[in-house]
Amino acid sequence: MQLSLFTALALLVLTAAGFLLGRRRALAAGQGRAAGLHSLPDYYGYYVAMWTGAPALVLLALYGLFGGMLVNTLALAELERSAEPLGARYESVLEIDPAHAGLRAERDQAEAGRLAAREYADAMFTQHGAESPQMAEAMTDVDGWIAEGERVEAELETRESQLLSQILGAAPDSPQGLAARAGLEYAQLPIERRQLFISDIRALAFGEGMASRDTAELRAAAAVFQPYETTIKWTVCLLAFSIAVIGLARAWRRVAPGFRARNRVEGAISFLLMLSSAIAILTTLGIVMSLLFEAIRFFAAIDWRVHEFLFGTQWSPQIAIRADQIGQSGAFGAVPLFVGTGLITLIAMAVAVPVGLFAAIYLSEYASPGVRAWAKPVLEILAGIPTVVYGFFALLTVGPFLRDFAMLLGYEDAVTQSALSAGLVMGVMIIPFVSSLSDDVINAVPQTLRDGAYAMGATKSEAVRQVVLPAALPGIVGAVLLAVSRAVGETMIVVMAAGQAANLTANPLESVTTITVQIVTLLTGDQEFNSAKTLSAFALGLVLFVMTLMLNIVALRVVQKYREKYD
Amino acid sequence: MADDTNTSANGRTVYHANRHAHPVKVAAAGVDVSYGDKQALHGVTLDIPDRAVTAFIGPSGCGKSTFLRCINRMNDTIETARVSGSITIDGEEVNDRGVDPVILRARVGMVFQKPNPFPKSIYDNVAYGPRIHGLSNSRDELDSIVENSLKKAGLWAEVSDRLHTPGTALSGGQQQRLVIARAIAVNPEVILMDEPCSALDPIATAKIEELIDELRENYCLIIVTHSMAQAARVSQMTAFFHLGHLVEYGPTEEIFTNPTDRRTQDYITGRFG
Ligand SMILES: Nc1ncnc2c1ncn2[C@@H]1O[C@H](COP(=O)(O)OP(=O)(O)OP(=O)(O)O)[C@@H](O)[C@H]1O
Ligand SMILES: [Mg+2]
Repeated sequence: MQLSLFTALALLVLTAAGFLLGRRRALAAGQGRAAGLHSLPDYYGYYVAMWTGAPALVLLALYGLFGGMLVNTLALAELERSAEPLGARYESVLEIDPAHAGLRAERDQAEAGRLAAREYADAMFTQHGAESPQMAEAMTDVDGWIAEGERVEAELETRESQLLSQILGAAPDSPQGLAARAGLEYAQLPIERRQLFISDIRALAFGEGMASRDTAELRAAAAVFQPYETTIKWTVCLLAFSIAVIGLARAWRRVAPGFRARNRVEGAISFLLMLSSAIAILTTLGIVMSLLFEAIRFFAAIDWRVHEFLFGTQWSPQIAIRADQIGQSGAFGAVPLFVGTGLITLIAMAVAVPVGLFAAIYLSEYASPGVRAWAKPVLEILAGIPTVVYGFFALLTVGPFLRDFAMLLGYEDAVTQSALSAGLVMGVMIIPFVSSLSDDVINAVPQTLRDGAYAMGATKSEAVRQVVLPAALPGIVGAVLLAVSRAVGETMIVVMAAGQAANLTANPLESVTTITVQIVTLLTGDQEFNSAKTLSAFALGLVLFVMTLMLNIVALRVVQKYREKYD
Repeated sequence: MADDTNTSANGRTVYHANRHAHPVKVAAAGVDVSYGDKQALHGVTLDIPDRAVTAFIGPSGCGKSTFLRCINRMNDTIETARVSGSITIDGEEVNDRGVDPVILRARVGMVFQKPNPFPKSIYDNVAYGPRIHGLSNSRDELDSIVENSLKKAGLWAEVSDRLHTPGTALSGGQQQRLVIARAIAVNPEVILMDEPCSALDPIATAKIEELIDELRENYCLIIVTHSMAQAARVSQMTAFFHLGHLVEYGPTEEIFTNPTDRRTQDYITGRFG
């Protein structure tokens, strides 16, 4: 840690020196005056400083990103090499252990039993249907075999860990022996637990955070890690330092009156700007890609019945939890989610668009500067309220009120968690979004247009309606579409206020659920990461992404089509 | 007095250099305007003739636009503006409580420095005034108002085949003539123009000047300009403003050939401004 800090400081000093040296040399070459030089002396300074600092900085950044990984790879390879003899012993012990062999046979038996029972159940399903007693009996049978398989699997694991600890106990307590034991333990770990093992070693070796346990084996492994870390760190630091010195020297030598330092600096700046936008774009692309791949895995898991996902009307992912369940088709029909999302968005827009737009018109056209000065910030405070607070409000105040009101009007089935209460509250949340964007757009309409309307004898509301709003329309449409994508993506209010029941209904007084809410429910809590149920969240995410993308494209189109040019 | 003297509503007449007498259309007396604490016009008094072009000249910030905006009460739209004194059109007081500025502005058209067609079609731009003031009873009548206005503004030939394309898609000079057509569509009595050519090239300027000369036959025109040559070319009367005061007012020829005030002379010979 101290070493990298020291290197960074040294680089900083070197960069500053580069600036001063480059500047001095430029001035000397121009006989002390800037007039004889192509660029101002400072630009020569920036140029030299750039070549001193930038490449070394890139190297350090690369080290920061990949250095730890490199150390891990090299050190773990060494650990595994030293564990090879132990590993071979363990394999042979597994082969000859009679208890283990017996359990293996039992496992094969359970698997065969399960397959046969499953085939029988399938036959019962086609002959007698899902609800028949024969079917129920067959399913009990299948479940029995599955339980049996799980039991055998657990016993196998226990036996294996017994044998492993025997082997490990037999190894010597020398540092090499301990390291070999750590290596074997690592090799036997399932993938998802390896990361923890590595971070424990790193914690013991470099004090990075807290180790979850502290054993002699882990300490021996840490001792293997340490030299790698030290060597690599020193190499990188020295390398960075020499790169900086070489860069300084080369750039310094190039400084001459005719040298176009200013253009070089300009080029570096534009490169930096390009890099920043590239990072933004690549990140987005990466997210979309991962979404796409996980979604593809989901579609593979439901046998590519994409149409069922997009057009199916029954959403109950819980059914498909067990691989052996029959009749899982139709469980992933996402239409109720789309309809629920649409319904809530519609209600929210019905609140937010008129209120937000009228508020914007009042603020920008009618309010006196005094009123505007406090009303606008107050409206924007609404946008700063956390959505969970809105959700609270919807659940505890608006929901019960709407339910009681509906009952008063004679609608007996009213519930607290309804699309209406979520939509209304979400609409309130979006009001400042619409009003603030529309306000900007309306203010951007040139004053000369208003003057033109007044000079024609229009009243204020005529001027607003006939001239200002048409001129601001593209921007307002853009604002509304942005608000729609905001509403479609909103989660917290809906989780709290709309319920989780995937009802396919257009009745705003019933509970519905949305795409975002389902993604949350599917991914929170303990989930295995390759069941169709979990993966379906990614498919839903993809749909959500495509929807908002379309909205944005349409918004851009509209804005371009009706754009008026004012300059 | 010349033989063709008409008696205007307030009984006064204005002579210009041709020795033609014109009835007074707009009369201002002791007009003060201030924006907040800052006084922009000090006691302006002048009579503006009908069926003639009156030019307002003077250095930037001297209050030409401010005075122009008093005539159709556009200063009402500025929160801080306070107007006092009397302005009459045909003897009727403009600043009277009883006068509805919306109706007044139908009688007093205005054209601005920057062309400001509405975000509507050419047709709807011209039909805007007649529609909000209910000047036509039928579609045909509206069509003919639009056509006549565009013809008077000298734009008909260029746009008759694309009346329903956006007005904002025209060139700057065409837009300015469209805005003039929009103003004359409500058949106003007075037309105010605030530097109508300053955003245009010489050819478009020449067209507008020609148009102003034609409109003179039927309207009372008041034009603010920074071009001495333009004032000399198109106007019959010229008023010179300086620092919020009306310094000199008279027939254009006299102002340009024989100004009585030193400041006027300095300004028109280009010594300041
Ligand atoms: N809306 C306003 N608020 C405050 N002061 C104003 C406003 N409009 C004009 N003024 C002030 O009133 C004075 C006269 O302005 P005015 O626009 O009438 O000048 P002008 O003669 O038309 O100038 P220009 O030739 O540059 O258009 C100026 O000092 C100006 O700063
Ligand atoms: Mg002006």
